[in-house]
Amino acid sequence: MMNSLIQLLIAALIPRSRRFEFQVAMRHLLSGGWQTLMTISAVTTGVIIVIFITSLIFGLQANISKLLTDSIPHITIKVADPKPKTLQDLHDPAISSGRIEQQAPQLKLIDNWEKVIGTARKLPNVKALSALVSGQGFASKGANPIGVSVIGADPVLQDMVTPVTSDLIAGKYQGLGSDEIVIDSQLAKDLNVSVGERIRLNSSIGVSESLNVVGIYNSGRGRGSVYITLRNGQSFFGYGTSVNAIYVKVYDIYDVDNLSKTLMALVPYEARPWTADFGSFLTNMQVMGASAYLISAFSLIASAFSIAAVLIVSVLQKSQQIGILKSMGAKQTQILRIFVFEGLGVAIFGSGLGAILGTAIVFLLGLLTRTSAQIGKPPDRLFPVQILPKYIAAAIVAAVVTTVIAAVLPARRAAKLNPVDVMR
Amino acid sequence: MNDIAVKIPLPKPAVNGFHPSVDTPLVIETRGLKKTYLGKVDIPVLFGIDLQIRQQEFVAIIGQSGSGKSTLLNILGALDVPTDGKVSINGVDISTLADDELAILRSDEVGFIFQAHYLLNEFTCLENALMPITIRHGEADEEQTARVLNLLERVGLTDQINKHPDEMSGGQNQRCAIVRSLANSPKIILADEPTGNLDRSSGEEVFALMREMNRESGVAFVMITHDDRLAQQADRILLIEDGNIIELSKTDHSQKNEKNHISN
Repeated sequence: MMNSLIQLLIAALIPRSRRFEFQVAMRHLLSGGWQTLMTISAVTTGVIIVIFITSLIFGLQANISKLLTDSIPHITIKVADPKPKTLQDLHDPAISSGRIEQQAPQLKLIDNWEKVIGTARKLPNVKALSALVSGQGFASKGANPIGVSVIGADPVLQDMVTPVTSDLIAGKYQGLGSDEIVIDSQLAKDLNVSVGERIRLNSSIGVSESLNVVGIYNSGRGRGSVYITLRNGQSFFGYGTSVNAIYVKVYDIYDVDNLSKTLMALVPYEARPWTADFGSFLTNMQVMGASAYLISAFSLIASAFSIAAVLIVSVLQKSQQIGILKSMGAKQTQILRIFVFEGLGVAIFGSGLGAILGTAIVFLLGLLTRTSAQIGKPPDRLFPVQILPKYIAAAIVAAVVTTVIAAVLPARRAAKLNPVDVMR
Repeated sequence: MNDIAVKIPLPKPAVNGFHPSVDTPLVIETRGLKKTYLGKVDIPVLFGIDLQIRQQEFVAIIGQSGSGKSTLLNILGALDVPTDGKVSINGVDISTLADDELAILRSDEVGFIFQAHYLLNEFTCLENALMPITIRHGEADEEQTARVLNLLERVGLTDQINKHPDEMSGGQNQRCAIVRSLANSPKIILADEPTGNLDRSSGEEVFALMREMNRESGVAFVMITHDDRLAQQADRILLIEDGNIIELSKTDHSQKNEKNHISN
C-alpha cells in the first residue's frame, strides 16, 4: 500500500532521471524505523519551538504595542513650541540685555486643519486622522471640582485613532450629542455618577456647561480624558473653528519617523511621532524581536546537528549498500542525491508535522484565559500568542534549508566512499 | 564435499567447453598490471599481470587467501585502480576515464556477483534485479522489465519476485543477484566466490545457472572460487600465486589437487 503510494508520488513528481535516487531515499526512510522517527522528530521539535517562540514573543510584542499605541496617537500634528533664541540670533548689534523677556502666552491653533487632513490622508501608511481640541477643565457634581483632560472630537474619527467605544463599560460614545459627555470610570466613581446623570464642566476661560453623561469607559490605564463633541470643545475652549491637534493613526507603528518627516515637509506644523516619547520602549520591542529570531535560529541549529548525527550513522550503516550501488554503476552525484533526498524527505515531513503541531499548540494556548484586570471586561488571554502564518512559513523554509544543509555533509561522505573498502 | 543430490546437472567438463579463437573479441585485457597497497608499510599484491579474456569465456581464478584474487577482480571491474599497468574493458583503457565515465562503464559493461548477495533489503526481488537499469535510466521500461522478468523465470524465481531478500533463501537471493548482474546485458560478469556462502546443492545450482547464462548470452564470466570441482568446470583456470598469474591446464590442476589430498 505504502509502496504503491510512493510509486504514484514518484511518477507524478519526480523526473525519470532522478527516480532511482528518490526511490532509494524513500525506502531508506521507510525502513529506517526509530532512526527516521528520531530525525523527523528533531525537525518537528525545531519547527514547533520556532512557531511557539515567534507566536509568543511577537504576540506579546503586538499585545504590548497595542496596549500602548492604541491609547495614543501614532503621530500628533500640532503647532510647534517656539524655540528660545539667544540675543546673537537676533542679529541686532544694538540689542544688549541681561534680562529674559517674558513671552506673552500664545494660542497654538491649527486654523486650516481640514486642508492639513486632506494633505496627510494622501500619504502612505496613514490609516486615520482626527482633528481635535484638547485642554484642561474641571468636572464637578455639586462641590469638589476635579481636574480633567477634555477632548473635543468627532466620535467616529476619534474611535479610529484612540478608541473609546471599545473601552466602554456603560452607555455609548458614537452619536454623542452637543450636551453630552463620556467620562472614564474613575471620574464616575469620584463624582459618584452613572449614565443618565448630569455633571458640570468648567473651562479655564470661564465657560461652564452642564452635560449629560452618556457613556463611561475603562481603558485600564488610569484616569482618562473626558470626551465631548468637536464643536462643543471648540466653544468650550474658545477656539472658534480651529483645532489644536490632529491625531494620526498609521498601519505600521514602527515606520512613523519617515512619515512624520514627510508631514513636516508638507505642512507648517510639528508632526511628533510616538517613538519620540517612547524610545526605550521601541528599543525593548526590537530586542524582544531579535531574541525571538535568536532562539529560533539556535533551536534550528540544534535540530540540524541532531539530523546530521543521525544521517552520519545512517551513512555508516548503509556504506556496504553504497558500495554495491556504486559497483552497479551509481555515480557519486547519485549517491549524494540519495542522502540529500533523505534529508529533504525528513525536512518536508518533519517541518509539515511541526507546523501542524506547533500551530495547534499555539491555538490551544491562545484559548487559555484569566480574569481581566479591567472591571466589566471579558477575561484576558493567559498567553498573548498569535498565529503568524508568515513565521510558520518561514519556520518551514528555514527547517527545510537547515536540514538539507545538515544532510549534505554525510551525503558527501557517502558519495566519496570507495566501494572496494566498504565491501571488503 | 557432501552428498546432497544435485537438482541441476553440472556443466560438462571444460575439455568440451568454449575454446575461443583469436578472432573472438576481447572483453578484458591487462598488460603489466601491478597493484601495491600503500601505507606505513607498502604491500605489493600483483606483480605485472598480463591477461586476456574473450567474449563467452568462463574463467575460474583460484589461489590462496590473500593472494590478490579479489584485488584483481576489483581492478578488472573498474572498482579499483592499478598502481601500474593497463586495463582495457571492451577495448576502452579505463585509466583514461573519469569517475562518472567509470560508473557508466561499470553499469553498461560489467556485472558483479559477490559471495554475499548484497541485495537491498528495502527492495523486492524484482526491484533488486532491475536495480542496475534503475541506476542507469532512473526507471526500467516495459521491455527491460519483461526481459528481467524472463530471466527471473529462467532462474526459477517467478513466484518470489515480490518478496524481499530476508524472505528468501540464500540460494534464491544469489540467483536473484545473478539476474541483477545480467540486467544491463553486460559484456562481462565478475563473480567473487559466488557460491562461497551457499551449501553444496545451492552452490552447484547457482554455478549451473551462471554457466547456462554464459553459454546462452555469450557474456564472459570471471569467477573466483575455492571450490576445485567448480573450477574444473570452467573453460580456463588461472592460478594467482605470489602476485603472478599462471594458467593451469586441467591436468595440472587435477594433479595438484591429488597431491594436496595425499599430503593432507
